[in-house]
Amino acid sequence: MTQAIEHLNPDTLSAFIDGELPDGEQEAIQQHLTGCPACALSVLSATKLKAATARAGRRFAPPPETLARLTAQLHREPRGNARIHSIRRVAWASLAAVMVLAVSLIGWRQLHETNTLAAELLDQHLATLSSAATPQVISTDRHTVKPWFQGRLPFSFNLPDAKALPPDTTLKGADLTYLKGQPAALLLFTIHKHEVSVFLTQRFGGPSITALPGTRSGFTIHSATTQDLSIVAVSDVNPADLDALVATLVQAQSPS
Amino acid sequence: MFRSEALLGVPIQFRGSIQRETLDNMVSASRSANFEQLALPLLPSLYNHAFWLTRNHAEAEDLVQETFSKALRAFDSFQADTNFKGWIFRILRNTFFTSRSGIAASRTVFLEDHPHALDTTDTSPTPEDNLIRLDNQAALQTALEQLEPPLREALLLCDVEEVKYKDIALILDIPIGTVMSRISRARRALRQLLQPQLGESQ
Repeated sequence: MTQAIEHLNPDTLSAFIDGELPDGEQEAIQQHLTGCPACALSVLSATKLKAATARAGRRFAPPPETLARLTAQLHREPRGNARIHSIRRVAWASLAAVMVLAVSLIGWRQLHETNTLAAELLDQHLATLSSAATPQVISTDRHTVKPWFQGRLPFSFNLPDAKALPPDTTLKGADLTYLKGQPAALLLFTIHKHEVSVFLTQRFGGPSITALPGTRSGFTIHSATTQDLSIVAVSDVNPADLDALVATLVQAQSPS
Repeated sequence: MFRSEALLGVPIQFRGSIQRETLDNMVSASRSANFEQLALPLLPSLYNHAFWLTRNHAEAEDLVQETFSKALRAFDSFQADTNFKGWIFRILRNTFFTSRSGIAASRTVFLEDHPHALDTTDTSPTPEDNLIRLDNQAALQTALEQLEPPLREALLLCDVEEVKYKDIALILDIPIGTVMSRISRARRALRQLLQPQLGESQ
């Protein structure tokens, strides 16, 4: 099909202006256009329509809040979801935890957002369970965990010695996280095989923890403040054990 | 990025024991960072397209959000040499069609080769007229809104997102020939829809 190009039919013309025809055909049309003003005008018009469509179709920009939320999601998401694949650490989430998670997630979603901080805390706690996630620092040693936060947090905190922790309570690791946009240390403990997330933030400038509910969707939320820190612990372990851990952490902050 | 620094804060004597985990983390971290790098520039496009699908700001945001979650989870299956934009738009679209409004939208039957649309279009109003009325953005926007959604979707992917036909075919899960005819039909329909406005303005 060299010489005998007819006037362009609409489909061909459309594909031509999109540059979607095979090379040979594209060239043949170009040749035809040089000798056919009618087709050349149609191409010009179609190109204008394409440009105008591009402009008219690009009209819904995300409002600034939406843009901020979605950007934040992209930034934050890796810690939760990306590591679902590491099945290696299944031990982190027992079957029971997954079931609790499933049930509580359903229930939790139905709750109104009466307290967004509580929701965020629980969300992050669930993320540590659900993703079978390995924290950024994996260590039971406070001398490893604490220095890791240096330069990553605008504040410092003390960790109790392993022997000072309540019975059957183990430090598993730590992560850097954000609560209400404020940097926080996330310490991961287990108490009798129950996972515990402990969030440490600056008391002033950090999120206010005074109005936190004591429980949410079956999880216990206990909080305490020290001179400089807010400490919030989330877990499904029994409240007394959780209290003991929080108390130990509070104690560790006061210089002895 | 951040995660890959994880080793730096750890005293040497601990590195050996955690290196395996850390390496895994670093791999997944670089994947996540990679995902962020690829997805972030597409945010406005995905949102715009989501809005065209949902016609609602809240739903568009939810749709993009869910798309990101799903895409990140499936990122392992994404092959580096394929088109990321096409891949994530496909996820966006599939997510939409499993949402409530998406299911409702998919109930509308779309006839691939609507004879009516084919016959009545004739590109013969004088091309000069075409050039004039295409400057009317408001009219074009109204016309775009009136397009049948499957036509509009193909056209927007082509003209706004500048996706190639073969990738549009993957996104919409239709043969490439159908992509070509939908885009062509969409353009003819637009011209037709713009016609009355031309009449009024003259």
